[in-house]
Amino acid sequence: MVGKPSRRVAEVVVLSTAMLTFISFWRAAAIVLCDMASTAWYIGGIAEQAIGKGAPWFILGVMAFSACILALETESAAIFVRGGVYKVVREAMGRNLAKVSVSALMFDFTLTGAISSVAAGQYLAGLLNHAFPHLHIGWRLNPDAFSVFFAVAAVLYFWRQNIIGIEESSDKSLKIMRLVAVMGLVVFGWSLVTIWFKGFSLPPFSVSFDPHSLGWLAGTDWPRKIGAVGLLVAFGHAFLGLSGVETLVQVYREMEAPKHGNLKKACLVIFLTCFLLTAGMCFLAVGIIPDAERAKYLDNLIAGLAMHQVGPHWARLGLQAFVVGVGSLILCGAVNTAIVGSNGVLNRMAEDGVMPEWFRYLHPRYGTTHRMINMVALLQIGAVIASRGNLYLLGEAYAFGLIWSLVFNAASITALRFRRLGPREWRLPFNVRIGGTELPVGLGFILAVLLAVACVNLLTKRTATVAGIAFTVGFYALFWAAERFNRGKARGEHREKVNLRNEETVEQVLKHLDKPNRVLVAVRDPHGLHHLAKALETLDEETTELVVLYCRIHYGMSFGGDVESLGPEEEHLFTRVIEVAERSGKTVVPLMVVSNDPFYAIAQSAQAVGAGEVVLGTSGRLSLENQLERLAMTWGAMQKADQGAVTVRVVQKGGAEMVADL
Amino acid sequence: MPATKTTPPAKTGAARSKSVRVSSLLSEDVISIVSPPPEKGALIESMVKLLCGKKGLGDPAPFLAKVFEREKKISTTLDTGLSLPHNPRTERAPGAPAGLDPPSLLTNIFAALTVIPDGMTDPMEKDIPISVMFLFLSPDRGEFFPMHLQFLRSVASLFQPSLIGALAKAPTPAAVLELIRKAEK
Repeated sequence: MVGKPSRRVAEVVVLSTAMLTFISFWRAAAIVLCDMASTAWYIGGIAEQAIGKGAPWFILGVMAFSACILALETESAAIFVRGGVYKVVREAMGRNLAKVSVSALMFDFTLTGAISSVAAGQYLAGLLNHAFPHLHIGWRLNPDAFSVFFAVAAVLYFWRQNIIGIEESSDKSLKIMRLVAVMGLVVFGWSLVTIWFKGFSLPPFSVSFDPHSLGWLAGTDWPRKIGAVGLLVAFGHAFLGLSGVETLVQVYREMEAPKHGNLKKACLVIFLTCFLLTAGMCFLAVGIIPDAERAKYLDNLIAGLAMHQVGPHWARLGLQAFVVGVGSLILCGAVNTAIVGSNGVLNRMAEDGVMPEWFRYLHPRYGTTHRMINMVALLQIGAVIASRGNLYLLGEAYAFGLIWSLVFNAASITALRFRRLGPREWRLPFNVRIGGTELPVGLGFILAVLLAVACVNLLTKRTATVAGIAFTVGFYALFWAAERFNRGKARGEHREKVNLRNEETVEQVLKHLDKPNRVLVAVRDPHGLHHLAKALETLDEETTELVVLYCRIHYGMSFGGDVESLGPEEEHLFTRVIEVAERSGKTVVPLMVVSNDPFYAIAQSAQAVGAGEVVLGTSGRLSLENQLERLAMTWGAMQKADQGAVTVRVVQKGGAEMVADL
Repeated sequence: MPATKTTPPAKTGAARSKSVRVSSLLSEDVISIVSPPPEKGALIESMVKLLCGKKGLGDPAPFLAKVFEREKKISTTLDTGLSLPHNPRTERAPGAPAGLDPPSLLTNIFAALTVIPDGMTDPMEKDIPISVMFLFLSPDRGEFFPMHLQFLRSVASLFQPSLIGALAKAPTPAAVLELIRKAEK
C-alpha cells in the first residue's frame, strides 16, 4: 500500500507593495524637490510684497538654513526609518503634542495644494495674456479668476487620481526635475547674456515693511529699533521656501541601500538645487527686471524674468512658455504631493485610533481611503476659493504649520538625544561634552532659530496665525474626540497594505525573479526576523534575489482555495518583513504558500525558485539539528534529478549561525 | 547547544562530503519484508536489535534509547511513504567547544531496511502510510553532522514513490536490494 505524496504546497500567493521598490538618491531627491523647489515659482513675488526689494537676501538666508533643516531630518531618519513629525513628537513629547504638530502640518498641506495650484494658474494666465495678441485673439483673462478656476480643476484632477489609487511614480518626479534643471540652466545662461548687455544691480540688503507685513507689530517700532527682530520678521516672511522638507522623511523609507549614505547624497542634491534655483531666480528677477515692471510680475516672477531677457520678442515668449510649462508641471506635482502627504498622515493617525472610524472605510471599488481624500481635496478647494486667486494672501497664511511642526520636530529630536542614548547612524554635529553630559549645541541653535521665527511669525503673519490656530484647533479637536471615542479600538501598530496575487504553482513565482541567484528566507514570527536582517546584510542585490517565504498551515477541509486576505498575525508579520527590508534598503519578494507542512513548503518553494541558499531562524520548539534534519529529508523527498546543491543557514538571535550544505 | 560558526557560508555544495551509496550499506541479512505490519515502535526495536546483532555493534539498548528520543522530536516519516528513524547527534554541554564532543559509539553508518507492503501507521503522521522503513545509526559527533545531513537528503531522494511502489511488490530481500542498486545507478 503506497500512498500518494500528501505534503505539498496547495496555494501560492505573491505579495506586492509599492514599499518594496527602493529608489536611488536621485529619485528620492526628485520627489522632495517636486514639492520644495516648486516654491521658486512664487516665493520671490510674495516675499518682495512683504519685505521689499531686499527679499532675495532673506530667501538666500532661508535656503542656506535649509541645510540645517535637512541635517535635522537626517538625524530624525537615523532614529526612525518610518519617521515623520507625528512619530518623532509622539516618541519624545507624547501623543497630545504629536496631535498638535500634525494638526498644524495639515494646515500647510492644505495650503500647499492651494498656493501651488493658484501659482500655476497665475503663470498660465500671464502666458495666455501675452500670447493672445500674437494669436490675434482679443481676450484678456483676469489672472485671479482664471487661477481659481485652474486651481480647482487641478485639485479635482489629483483628487480623482488619488481616489482611483493611481500613484505618481518617482520616475515622473525625476523627469520633471530634469526639465527643471534644463529650464534652470537655460534661464541662468540667458540671464548671463542679458547681464552682459544690460548690467545687473544686486538688491539692497534692507527691508521695507508695509503695515500688513508687520501684523500686530505694525504699531510698534520694534522691527526698526531692534535689528534682530526686523531680521526675524523678514526671515519669517521668506520661510515658505522650506515648504516640502517634511517629504524627505516620508521618502527615506523607500531609499535603497546604503540607506543613510544615500540620504546624505539626496540632501546635498536638494540643498544645492533649492539654494541655486530658488535664491538664484529671486536675485536674477530683482537684478534684471526694472522695479516698475517687476511690480506687474509679482504673481509670476520667473515669467517676468523670461520676458525681460535680451533677444527677440518671440524668443522671450518661447522662454516664458517653457518656464510656465515646467512651472505648471512642478506646481501641479506639489498639489498631488500635498494630497498624498495629508492622506498618508491621516492614515497613520487612523491606525493609531486618532481619526474617526468613519474616515477609514475604503472605497468599495478602488480600495482607497476616499473619505480622507475627499476631506483633503475639499479643504484645498475651500482655501483656493477663499483666497480668490490672491497668491500673496495664500503666501501670508502659509508656513504656520511648516514652522511649528519643525519646532516640535527639532524639540523632539533634542529631547531624544537625552532619552534615547544608544548609538545612531548619524547625529547633527557641534556637540559639546561637559562632564558626563553631551550638550547638542548644533541642535539647540536650530531649535532656537526655529522657535524665534515661529514666535515672531505669530505676531507678524496675522492671517497665518488666525487661520492656522483655528485650523489646528479644529483638527486637534477632531483627533482628540476620535481618540476618546476609539479608546480601546486602536490597532496600535502600523499595518502595511499589500496586494495579493494568487499563482497556480510555485514555479509561477519565477516570472517575478530576474536575477541569476536566489536566496530563500523562511519567516514565521514577526518578532524573530533576525535571520532576515542578517541575510539582507550580506545580500548582493545586483546578482541575488531574496525571496521571503511564509507558510500558512492548513489541514483537512480548509486546505486549498484562493487566498483572498491576510489574517491579523500575517499582516503583522509582513509589515515587519517590509520594515526590515526598508531598514536595509534592499528589495525582497514576499511569498506566502499554503501547506500542511512548513518544511515541505520551504523545500518545494526553494527548489521551485532555484534558491542556492535557504536561511532559517531558530525555533522555540525544535533544535537547530532537528530543523536541519527535517529540511534535509524533505529536500531529498522533493528533489528532482537536475536540482543543484543548496546551503542552509540557521541563524540564531545573537547572529551566530549553523551552516550546512545539502 | 549546537556548534555554531559565524563565517559566511559556502555559496554552493562544493564542500560537500563524498556521498555514501545506500546499497553499499545494505545486505540481504538486514533487509526484511513484514506482513501484516507491526506497530512502529516494535518494528524500530526489532530493526535496531537486528542491526546490532548482524553488524556486531554490541548492546542495542543505548542505540534504541537514542532512536526513540529522536522519534519524539519531529517526524522522520516522509509523504513518499519512507520512514527514516535514526540516532540524533549527541548534544554538547552548553558553551563547550567542538573538540569536547562526547565520544561516539560509532565510526561509520550502519543501516537496515524493512518493506511493509500493506503500509504501517505512523503515530505522528497518521495520514501517511509507511511502506519502507530505512533505519540507520551514524556517528553522533558534531564533525560528522554535515555528512549525516547529506546522507538523510540522499536517502530521501533515492526512495521516490516509484521505487517504493516497486519495493512493496518485491518478493525477497535479494530482490529489494537489486531494485535499490538499480535505482542508484
